[in-house]
Amino acid sequence: MTLSRARPITELLDTETVQSICDEVWPSLVGDGEAFVPVPVAPPAEVVSAWVDIIGPWTGSVVVTCAPSTAAALTESVLMTRPPTVVDDEDVADALGELANVLGGNVKSVLPGESRLGLPQIGSAPARGRLDDVRALVGQWRGNYLTITVQGTAPHPSGTEVPQ
Amino acid sequence: MRALVIDDSRAMRRIVGTILKDFGFEVREAGDGQQALDLLHEGKAEGWVPDLCCIDWNMPVMDGLQFVMAVRANPEFRQVTLMMVTTESETGQIVKALAAGAHEYLIKPFTADALRDKLALLGLLPEEVSA
Repeated sequence: MTLSRARPITELLDTETVQSICDEVWPSLVGDGEAFVPVPVAPPAEVVSAWVDIIGPWTGSVVVTCAPSTAAALTESVLMTRPPTVVDDEDVADALGELANVLGGNVKSVLPGESRLGLPQIGSAPARGRLDDVRALVGQWRGNYLTITVQGTAPHPSGTEVPQ
Repeated sequence: MRALVIDDSRAMRRIVGTILKDFGFEVREAGDGQQALDLLHEGKAEGWVPDLCCIDWNMPVMDGLQFVMAVRANPEFRQVTLMMVTTESETGQIVKALAAGAHEYLIKPFTADALRDKLALLGLLPEEVSA
């Protein structure tokens, strides 16, 4: 019996590709003139994440993480709401989830082989897998902390790899 | 013109719906393929059949591809134009959707202009918008 070790995301996807996906997604989904800027700022005390899973030759998640206030502002921008309209928690979960979904779909399209995309989820980011199986883009939107992480699935709880 | 926007994301339904309304469409929404099928049947009973369905691929309950196949299997809805609006962008997926009976395919993210171009291609834009 041999143990297969899938190629890590760092061998499949470079930072420039993730940034180019963001460059396409932000103006189309978040709004005209909007951009994800890959210049890190200090992380907030509290964060929220939305993610989609990719299941295929490479299996993992595409995760968007930001402060709850940034998620609310993103939602207002995606939904083009104007005061006095306010977005609720369901709107925020939906819009942040859709952002993760569109980013995830575009990441999936540049990965080799046939993969499947899961439905968006929101909450605390899933646990990361191998240390070398993470491609993270730390940056900001409108000056607020935001990260996009493409990360492998955490190992099996037994601590051993699953035989292929 | 009438359109049914099918997406599990309320945000995306609102975005697509707003653009379509700007183009003069009367818009209804569904959160998954099954809900959309139910709406099609209810609409048929009251004389509201959409000219266009904009369909996400990945949805709970019934996905976009299953919806396309279900609509194409029903001759009552053969006049309805089906357009996938999805993040699924691999050639194999596009071929699968078109083979199942979708007429057009728009990949997320997209701009209002890209949607307008697809509608023009399908002959679904009012003259004043196409001009």
